[in-house]
Amino acid sequence: MADYAWRKLLQLIPTVIGVVTLVFLAMRMIPGNATGFMAGDNLSGDALAAMTERLGLGIPMWQQYVNYVTGLLRFDLGTTIVTGLPVSQLILEALPITVMVAVLTVLISCVIAVTIGTIAAYLANKGKKWFDQLITWLTMLVDLMPSFWMALLLMLTFTLTLGWFPASGTINFSDPGQMLQRIALPLMVLCAGQIAMIARITRTAVLEVLGEDYIRTARAFGLPQLRVVFRHALKNAAMPVITVAGLAFGNLLNGTIITEFIFSIPGIGTLLINGINSRDYTLVQSVILVYAFLFILVNMLTDFIYKYIDPRVRL
Amino acid sequence: MRHRFANLTLASVSYPLRMMPGLGWLRSLLGNRIGLIGLSILVPVLLLAVLVPVLPFADPFKTNVSVSLNSPSLEHPFGTDKLGRDVFSRTMTGLQTSLSVGFLVAGITLSFGLLFGTLSGFFGGKLDRLVMAGVDIFLSFPSLLLAIGLVAIFGAGFLPVVVAIAIADIPRAIRLQRSLVLGIKSRAFIDAARMVSATPGWLMARHLVPNTIAPMLVAASITAANAILTEASLSFLGLGITPPEPSLGNIIREGQMYLQEAWWISTLPGLVILLIAISLHLVSDGIREVLDPRARKS
Repeated sequence: MADYAWRKLLQLIPTVIGVVTLVFLAMRMIPGNATGFMAGDNLSGDALAAMTERLGLGIPMWQQYVNYVTGLLRFDLGTTIVTGLPVSQLILEALPITVMVAVLTVLISCVIAVTIGTIAAYLANKGKKWFDQLITWLTMLVDLMPSFWMALLLMLTFTLTLGWFPASGTINFSDPGQMLQRIALPLMVLCAGQIAMIARITRTAVLEVLGEDYIRTARAFGLPQLRVVFRHALKNAAMPVITVAGLAFGNLLNGTIITEFIFSIPGIGTLLINGINSRDYTLVQSVILVYAFLFILVNMLTDFIYKYIDPRVRL
Repeated sequence: MRHRFANLTLASVSYPLRMMPGLGWLRSLLGNRIGLIGLSILVPVLLLAVLVPVLPFADPFKTNVSVSLNSPSLEHPFGTDKLGRDVFSRTMTGLQTSLSVGFLVAGITLSFGLLFGTLSGFFGGKLDRLVMAGVDIFLSFPSLLLAIGLVAIFGAGFLPVVVAIAIADIPRAIRLQRSLVLGIKSRAFIDAARMVSATPGWLMARHLVPNTIAPMLVAASITAANAILTEASLSFLGLGITPPEPSLGNIIREGQMYLQEAWWISTLPGLVILLIAISLHLVSDGIREVLDPRARKS
């Protein structure tokens, strides 16, 4: 296992270098000069020169790249252009919120989705199609619904009409009750999308396994139905479910950008949008990197879980 | 014995030919239940969006403060916004933009996917490693994030949005086409064609691409649906199509401010997006069932 982990990490190095380089190059491909892009047209020549100096853009490209990479290694991401605060500090404040929301979403939605999907498969296997059909259509509907639209509908219902959940306010880790109330709606939006994807694949996978011989054997031994379904069938259907849950994480990250923006949750998604709107490209490039690293990290974790569940998997 | 062998190769050779008999598959799509449901939503909405300038609807840009924030009525089916503009005709005009983005992105993605996927899968070696390394790097970003990053670089507007979404989608298309080509490359009919000294160009154009076009078309219609959703998301975030040019996303964004007193501005255009996305998915399911009879069971 340790050997496998090391090999897996080594394989990641080219990708990580590629991602870092791509972000570096992309931010320097902004048509015209990056400083001009950020400052607009209202900076004089002197001020522009000073800004170029401050951002370290006055030196050759390769030197900029070296500075940028060594900065990254020391987690020194420069300072924001608007407020002058260190970018690393802003990210460290925002990241825990996004990660907390994402982890809660994954936990809640996996439990609900696997239950729904398994029940749908069980009923479909027994010939009761209605629940199965209902789930199939419902998951497609939710999956295709624009998340920002769903967020607005929830806000209209729960915040503006019923007044149950606030749609603004700070997030305070020391007061879990208030915090949960604050993030309830974003969680609903994010979970709905995840549940739709994972439930559908769980259904297909479990349905396939339920046709296998060893399931019939387990039933023939007189094991309780539920135990057969949840212990034997679900365990063997876990692989595709984990793959999809891993893939769905990309969607989840996309979703956090939108829901954080709508519900003004101060996570890295909001940081990104604010950065783009204030043309703060040191901030934008760092946030994009953080997102990419999160994504790579989760994909790697998915591989590990894969390996853990099914030792036959080689990579 | 010889007869059976002939049948065997004929079956594997005629498999690709069955897929592209002119417009035959389109006709069977009309006979397919799911595809038909999809088309019967998609086509009227398409027509409505295309014909909206000549139909007697209100001008989407004309402001009239005396009818500000009117609720839906016969005159204004989707109500009016803060400036008294007709939300229905704005939605339909926005839909034109959305559909153009969707189909342009699908077309670009399909072409690049076919080109690089086929070359990479067919030739393998250094080229393959290079292409796949690039694909891996691009796939290390969540797709919406990539589009947001690219739009931040290119700026807002129709063309940048199309290019940004296409770049975010192309790696997936390349990977799919490559895996399809790898699956077909070793089939008997390719060897047969090689034996009669078919050139690589001929093999790719006449055998590999026609055999992979079906799943690629299915993927392309899903790409179109996703591109429409991504454009709406970008415009909603204020990074896509910018007002006063209407787009489904920016109408919803403008309506968000008046959610309490005028729920219709944000909710009804969202319903239209959902309808389009569902119909495109149904059409793609239909295409899949028609082109791949094995999919019909599940």
